[in-house]
Amino acid sequence: MGASSIDKDSQKGRSVFSALWNAAVLKALFWRPAARKPLRLFVTVLGVAVGVASVVATIAASRAAVRAMREGVSEVAGRARLEVTRPGGLEESFLARLRPLTDRALVLPVVEELALVPELGDSVRVLGVDLAVDGAARNVNFRGEFVEAAMPSGSDLFERSLQCEGVLVPAKLASELSVRAGQKLTLLARSRPVEAVVLGVFDPGALATAMDRVVLADVAWAQEAFGRLGRIDRVELLPRAGSDLSALQRDVAAAAPAGARVAAPSVRADSTARMVRSLEFNLTALSGISLLVGAVLVATALATAVVQRRATLALARALGATRGQLAAAVLCEAALLGMGGGALGVVLGAFGARGSLASVRATVAAVVRGVPESAVEVTPAMAAIGVAAGLAVALAASVLPLQEALRTPPVQGLRRERPRVLPRKVILRSAFATALLVGAALLLLQIPAWSDLPIAALGAALALMACVLTLAHPAVDALARAVSRLRMRGKRAPLRIAAASLSAASGRAAWAAGAVGVAVALAIAVSTMVGSFRRTVTDFLEQAIRSDLWVQPVAAETGVQVGRLDPEIVTVAQSIFGAGYVDPFHESMAWIDDRSIALGAGAFDVIGAHGSIPFRDGRSAREVFQSAREGGGVLVNEPLAQRFRVGEGDMIELITSSGTIRKRIEGVFLDYSRSQGAAVLDRAEFLRLYPDDGPESLSIFVPPGMTPEEGRARLAAALAARYRVEVRLNREIRKEALAAFDRTFAITSALQLVTAVVAVIAILAVLSALVDERRRDLALLSALGGERWQVVGVVVAQAGFLGAIGVLLGSGAGFATGWVLVKVVNLQSFGWTLQLLPPWGALGGIAAAVVPACLVAGLAPAAAASRLRPAELLRDDD
Amino acid sequence: MAVSFSPPDPSKFAAGGVSGATHPSPVVVLRRVSKRFERGEGASVAALEEVSLEVHAGEVVALVGPSGCGKSTTLNLISGVDRADGGELEVCGVDLRTATLERLAELRRRSVGIVFQAFHLMAHLTAEENIALPLALDGREDGARVAHLLDRVGLTKRARHYPPELSGGEQQRVALARAMVHRPRVLLADEPTGNLDSAAGAAVLQLILDLAREERAGVLLVTHDDSVARAADRIVRMRDGRVVDR
Repeated sequence: MGASSIDKDSQKGRSVFSALWNAAVLKALFWRPAARKPLRLFVTVLGVAVGVASVVATIAASRAAVRAMREGVSEVAGRARLEVTRPGGLEESFLARLRPLTDRALVLPVVEELALVPELGDSVRVLGVDLAVDGAARNVNFRGEFVEAAMPSGSDLFERSLQCEGVLVPAKLASELSVRAGQKLTLLARSRPVEAVVLGVFDPGALATAMDRVVLADVAWAQEAFGRLGRIDRVELLPRAGSDLSALQRDVAAAAPAGARVAAPSVRADSTARMVRSLEFNLTALSGISLLVGAVLVATALATAVVQRRATLALARALGATRGQLAAAVLCEAALLGMGGGALGVVLGAFGARGSLASVRATVAAVVRGVPESAVEVTPAMAAIGVAAGLAVALAASVLPLQEALRTPPVQGLRRERPRVLPRKVILRSAFATALLVGAALLLLQIPAWSDLPIAALGAALALMACVLTLAHPAVDALARAVSRLRMRGKRAPLRIAAASLSAASGRAAWAAGAVGVAVALAIAVSTMVGSFRRTVTDFLEQAIRSDLWVQPVAAETGVQVGRLDPEIVTVAQSIFGAGYVDPFHESMAWIDDRSIALGAGAFDVIGAHGSIPFRDGRSAREVFQSAREGGGVLVNEPLAQRFRVGEGDMIELITSSGTIRKRIEGVFLDYSRSQGAAVLDRAEFLRLYPDDGPESLSIFVPPGMTPEEGRARLAAALAARYRVEVRLNREIRKEALAAFDRTFAITSALQLVTAVVAVIAILAVLSALVDERRRDLALLSALGGERWQVVGVVVAQAGFLGAIGVLLGSGAGFATGWVLVKVVNLQSFGWTLQLLPPWGALGGIAAAVVPACLVAGLAPAAAASRLRPAELLRDDD
Repeated sequence: MAVSFSPPDPSKFAAGGVSGATHPSPVVVLRRVSKRFERGEGASVAALEEVSLEVHAGEVVALVGPSGCGKSTTLNLISGVDRADGGELEVCGVDLRTATLERLAELRRRSVGIVFQAFHLMAHLTAEENIALPLALDGREDGARVAHLLDRVGLTKRARHYPPELSGGEQQRVALARAMVHRPRVLLADEPTGNLDSAAGAAVLQLILDLAREERAGVLLVTHDDSVARAADRIVRMRDGRVVDR
C-alpha cells in the first residue's frame, strides 16, 4: 500500500510537472515571442547585468582591499599562533623574559612600519624580523627560494643582513622598480631617505598577494631606520611540536608587561577588517540600489511582454492552456532574463572590479593606513551569488506581470486597452502602500546600528526609495490626464497623443517612470549626502585648520601620508618659529576594553592660544584646551563618543604603552578625518606614556613679522639636506583635504552612473515596447498625413513624460533618503554629525541631465516608429 | 441630422450613383501603373500591371475584384503610402512619382481621406478626438466641423467615448467622419463595410455616398461585394493585378 501511495504521489508529481512544463505551450507563449524581440531581450538582460555587475564589482573590489589587509596580518604571520602586542610597542628587554619559554616556542621579534618608495609613488611595509629563524615561521624559505642574490651563498646574505647592510625584496616589487640584487633601493623612513642595498630578490610563492609589497629586513636594520632602538612592535610565537598552546599563552601573558596583550594574529586581522566593515557594507548597499533598478527593468520588460502577448495568452487560454502553464511561461522568461543577466553581470563585474579597485582602495585608505596592493578575485561562490541575485530579482520582479498574465481570461484577447480614470481602489492601494513604506522607514530609523552596521537605517532608506514605485502609477495617470486636457491642435497634437497613449498603458509606463525615479532618488540622496558632507568638511577645515603651515611626510599617490616625521624636525621648526608656535601632532594607539582607538597628542598650550578646533558643545577651543591642560583631561573625537556612548565630563579608561590610565573627557571635538575613535592627550603627558617615534604632522603658526611663504622657505631650507617632507600653506592643505575627500567619494559617483545607465535602459526598453505596441497607431498617423516629426514627437514626448515623472518622484524620495543617509546612516557608520545641505544645484543638474537623457533614450524607438510602413501595418487582414 | 439605418435605396443605385452629374476634372489619374513585391531570393510577384484609372470630383468609383487582385495596393499607391514601380500617377494635380515624402504627407493631410476596413481608430483618443486628428496634424482646429460631422454620422452623444466602447458600425462612422473632416477632394474607402453586419454596412455605405455628394469628393470604393459596388457611379473590375472591365 505504501508503495502504491508512493507511485501515486510520484505520478501526481510527474503530471503536475508535465502540466506546467509543456514544451509546445512554452514555445508558443515564451520562446518564440521572446526570440522575435532579440533587442528587447538583450536590453533587459543588459539592464540586469549592469545591476549585478555593480554589486559584484563593489563586493570583489572591497573584498580584495579587505582581504589584502587581512592577509597582510595573518598570512605574513605564517605559522605563528600567538603574538604579544602593546600600544606603542614593547621593550626589547621583554625578549629576555621570554627566554625560558624558547624550548616551547620559537620567539620572533617583529618591527613593522610603512615606508614610502618615492620611485613607486606608493608605500611598502617594511618587516624587520630575525632572518636567521624567521623564514621557516613565515612559510618562506629564504635560503632556497631566492630568484637572485647579490652574494653567492645564502649564509652570506644573512651575515650581511645581520650587519644591517640591506633588505630582501619580493620579485614582483623588484620587477616594478626594475631593481636587481646588489643595487640600491631608496625608502623614506621618518621622512629621511634611507638607501638600502637589495641583498636578494625572493619569490614569496603562495604568499604572493600578501608579500608583494613587503620588504624584509633584519630587526636591527628596521629599528635603526625607524628610530626604534631598543623597541619592537610585537613578538610572534610559533609553538614547538607538542607544546600546549593555552598553557603557553598563559605563561607568556604572565611574563608580558602591563598593557600587553597575548592573542592569535587573527584577532589583529579581525580588528583591522572591522574598521572597514561599515565602509564595505555601505558601498555594497549602494551598489545594491542599481540591482533594484535592474529589478524594476525586468518587471517593466515582463509587464510589457505580457501585454504584448495578451492576445496570444487569451488564445492559449481559449484552447485550454492552464493558468499554471501561463505562469510557467512567464517565470521561464524571468528566469532566462535573470540568469542571463546574472551571468553577464558576473563577467562585467569582474572587469568593473579591476577598474574600481583603485577607487575602493583610496576609499578604504581613508579609514585605515597602508592598504596593501591586492588582486581582484571573483570566486566561484561570488559568481554563483551574482547569478542567483540576477535570478532572484528577476523572479521577484515577475510577480506583478505574472498576476496580469494569470488574470487574462480566454475571451479577453481581442479587447484593446483604453484610457480610463485610475480606479479609486488602485489609488487607495497605492496610498496605503506608500504610507506603509513611510511607516516602516520611521520604525526602522528608531533601531540602533547592529554591530556598527546601519542595517536598519539602510532598510529605511530603501523603504523611502521604494515609495517612488508605489507612487509611480497614480503619478503617470495624473500627468497623462492633465495633458489630456490640452486641446489637440498643431504642435500640441503629439503631446496629446503621447499622453493618451501613456494613460492607456499607465501600468507599464509606471514601471519605467519608477526606474528613472529610483535612479534619480539615488542620485539626489547621494548628492545630498556628499554635498552635506563636503560642506561640513569645508566648514570644519575653515575652522579647524588655522595654522599657517602644515608639515607632513610625503604622501603616496593615493593621497594618504606614509610614516612619520623625525623628532628632529620638531626641534628644527621650534628653533625657527619658537616653541609657542609649533604644534606637533603625535599618534599611536590605545585600547578601550578590547577595542583599539587612535591615541593622539598635541601641544594644548599652542592650540589653545592659536588654534580653533570645533567642539560639539560649541565651547571655544581656548576654553576647552585650557581646562584639559589644567585638569589633565583628555579630548575625544565624535566617533569615539558615539561608539562608546560617552560625553563631556565622563571618565574613560585607556590602556596605553605604560599601563591603564583613567581620564576625564574635557571635550568632544568634531573630526571628519577619521571614523575610528580617537582620544587626544596633551603632548607632554603623551611623551611620558609613549616613546617619541616622531609626530605625524606639525602645525605651525607663523609668528608676527614673518609671512607664511617666508616661514615655509626658511623651514624648507633648514630641512632640505636631510629630510623629504611636504610643507604646505594653509590654503594648500585645505585644497588637498578636499581633493582627498573627493577621491574618497569617487566610487559613489561611479555607482550613481551605473544606476542611471540602468534607468535609461529601462526607458529605452519601455519605449521600444510602447512603440511596438502602438505601431499601428503610429503608422496611422503617417497614413493620415502626419509628418515624421509628429510621429517622432509622440514617442519622444512619452519619454519626456516618463523622465519628468521620474525626476519629480525621485527628487522627493531622494531628499528623504538623503536625510536618512546624512543624519542616521553616517552617524551610525562613522559617528559623524553632518549638517544637512539641500542639494539644489544637484537637483537642477540631475533634472537637466535625466530628462534630456530620457529624450535621447526615446530617439531610437522614435526613429524606428518613423520608419514604420503604413501600407503594411494597416493591411486589413491583420 | 440623424442618420438612416435602413439599407440604401436600390433604385438610387440603379439610377447610376449619387449625383448623376458629369465629372469634368479627374482628381485621381493612373496611367499604366505597375507595382511588384519582392518575395525573397530575388523573386518578385506583380501586384499591379499597367493599371489605368480615373476618378473625377463628385464621382463614386467602385473597384471590384477577388482577394489579392490588387485593389488595396491600388489604394495604397493613390494615398501615397506606397510607391509605384512604373506608370503615371497623379492625385489632385500632384505627381506622386516625384513628390517628396513631406509632399505626400501634406497631400494626405489636406486632400485625401481614407476609410479602412478595420477602422484603425486610435483606441486611446475619444471619438471626437479621433475625428479631429487630421486637422490637428495640419495644425488646425475646427470644433464646429467636428461637431457637424458627429451629428451627420449620428454620434453626437457618443463624442466622448473611446473606440473600444463603440460598436463596429459606430467605429466605422467615426472613421468616415475622420476621413471627411478636412474636406478631402478624394475619399479612399477600403472595404468599408467588410467588417460590419449588413444593416450597419448599409448605413455606413449610405453615409459615404451622402457625404461624398455633399462635399463633392471623388470616391474610390474598394469592395468585393457586388451589392455595394452597384451603389457607385462606375464599377471597375480587377483580376490578377489588371483592370479587366470598366
